[in-house]
Amino acid sequence: MSSTPLANNLRVIIAEAVKMWRVWRTYKILIVFWGIFPLLWVLPFVFQGRALVGGLASANFKNLTGTEYYLPYILIGAMVSTYVFSGLWGIGNSLREETYWGTLEYIIISPTNPIVVLLGKVLSEFVYATATVIFQGLVCVLFFGVPITLAKILPIMLIIALLLIGFYSLAIGFAGLTLLIKETHGLVRTMEWFFFLFSPIRYPVEINPITKFVSMFIPLTYALVAIRMIVLFRQPGVSLWNVILILLLMDVASMLVGYITFTQLELRTRRAGTISMH
Amino acid sequence: MPAAIEINSVRKTFKKRRGKTTKALDGVSLVIEEGELFGLLGPNGAGKTTLVRCIATLLIPDQGKIRLLGRDVFRHQLLVRRDIGLVTSGERTLYWKLSGWDNLKFFSALYGMDPRQAEKRIDFLIDLLGLNEFSRDRVERYSSGMRQKLSLARALLHDPKILLLDEPTLGLDPQFSRFIRNFIRQDLNQKDKKTILMTTHYMDEADELCDRIAFIDRGVIVGLDTPSGFKRAIPHEEILELKCQGLFDATSIEKMSRVEKVSLVHENGIVILKVMAQRSEDVLSDVIRDLSAKTKILSINVKEPTLEDVFIYYTGRSLKDEPGSHHE
Repeated sequence: MSSTPLANNLRVIIAEAVKMWRVWRTYKILIVFWGIFPLLWVLPFVFQGRALVGGLASANFKNLTGTEYYLPYILIGAMVSTYVFSGLWGIGNSLREETYWGTLEYIIISPTNPIVVLLGKVLSEFVYATATVIFQGLVCVLFFGVPITLAKILPIMLIIALLLIGFYSLAIGFAGLTLLIKETHGLVRTMEWFFFLFSPIRYPVEINPITKFVSMFIPLTYALVAIRMIVLFRQPGVSLWNVILILLLMDVASMLVGYITFTQLELRTRRAGTISMH
Repeated sequence: MPAAIEINSVRKTFKKRRGKTTKALDGVSLVIEEGELFGLLGPNGAGKTTLVRCIATLLIPDQGKIRLLGRDVFRHQLLVRRDIGLVTSGERTLYWKLSGWDNLKFFSALYGMDPRQAEKRIDFLIDLLGLNEFSRDRVERYSSGMRQKLSLARALLHDPKILLLDEPTLGLDPQFSRFIRNFIRQDLNQKDKKTILMTTHYMDEADELCDRIAFIDRGVIVGLDTPSGFKRAIPHEEILELKCQGLFDATSIEKMSRVEKVSLVHENGIVILKVMAQRSEDVLSDVIRDLSAKTKILSINVKEPTLEDVFIYYTGRSLKDEPGSHHE
């Protein structure tokens, strides 16, 4: 045990990610599902686009958003939300999984801070979500002409990184909440629909003043605006630097909220004696 | 030198529905010295597991202090956790979808072990516990006994000074139980000099293994001594034990003038009545007469007192009683 705390924590993060991968690969049906899913996920959006606007572009849509490319607009929303929802399901739900496996108490009684273990779950979710998004991106570029070029990838990655730092931090706080509230599916579903409703994943939030107002407090809104701006618009509607600054501030707030929420709720569950309860 | 485990006036109450509360620990104080194999004996719901969970930092007491090797467990919890190895009963405490070896490898990372040293230690423990043949198989294919051996290996990975064993042989077949008991006594306690706190409600296990025993009942330590000291303390050299068929009311026997304590234990449809008196032969005929009118007597024995009898003497309850039951 002579390594530095940083080296130890990095080992835990990798060990946790490897463990999740090993557990996951034993469920063969999941491998089949995730092999097919990235190729088929786009079809509902294509059918929806054809039914509503008759193709990939719409003049009416341009009045609202500044771009006539309805389908690429929606596909970008779907790709970025893949990251968000994998974080919600994967990290938020992960401690419940450990409870079902009966291993949570053994993680808690180890000398490693459980947040480090959660960072391992973040890594495993990030790898999975990135692989999925790369597949989705290829489908978008090759079959639907979404103009993602190599030059655009770097700024997109920066925006996504800023989005994920904040979002995964909140997911860690959410994982703490699942220690207290033992039912996670309802919570995750509620959060999912909250994001679908109040951030521009599937439609421009400008469509309604309430959705527009609430969306201002959701980092996903800024990330989607920025990424769509990079991919679809030649004339930026908002300053990219402003978006980066807002996301940075939201990241700091999210990290604080996530950390405090998790540590306080973990403490509270240890006081109540309900840490391993189902 | 500080004691290995020092528990001082620990209280823990759990909230239940409708504002009701349950006192799980009610002012428990204990000192366990280094190298001691200490048994905590009590029926289900007595507070054994609650106390172990408090020591293991899984549960925070409402009041009182717990120190391990001189350190306060809640102030220095990350440090203290390095000195603790925990084994609980129950089937699901490991990753069933991983191999035994992969389980140990994962937990070695949580204990900050160097990967190469960890692998050597894992191989050593797997060999020591006789799991070589199955170490690369998934845990879901293990028997209960093999899983418990693997749990022991996990608790020993980081070579902790203190082992907390919560019902380590519960639900195991006699062969595995025997192996685990021998391993605890010979390898862990006598050879490696580890301090061990084990909970059990198997009296023969505690009698055979432990240097000292504390009886716990309804969250209170009701007796603390060596197994032989306990047996000497009981003022009866023999216990009258009658096995009967069917339930009956033992109040009339309790009221007999020369009867001091009575307990009833239900075991596989048979009711075992234990009667303590200064001299068994003085009450035998009265007890038989009383019981014959109520039930069918299957056997009568006069036995030397066991720890179970000592527990009944102290609490009026059997170790096999369910929480809340009381015979006195």
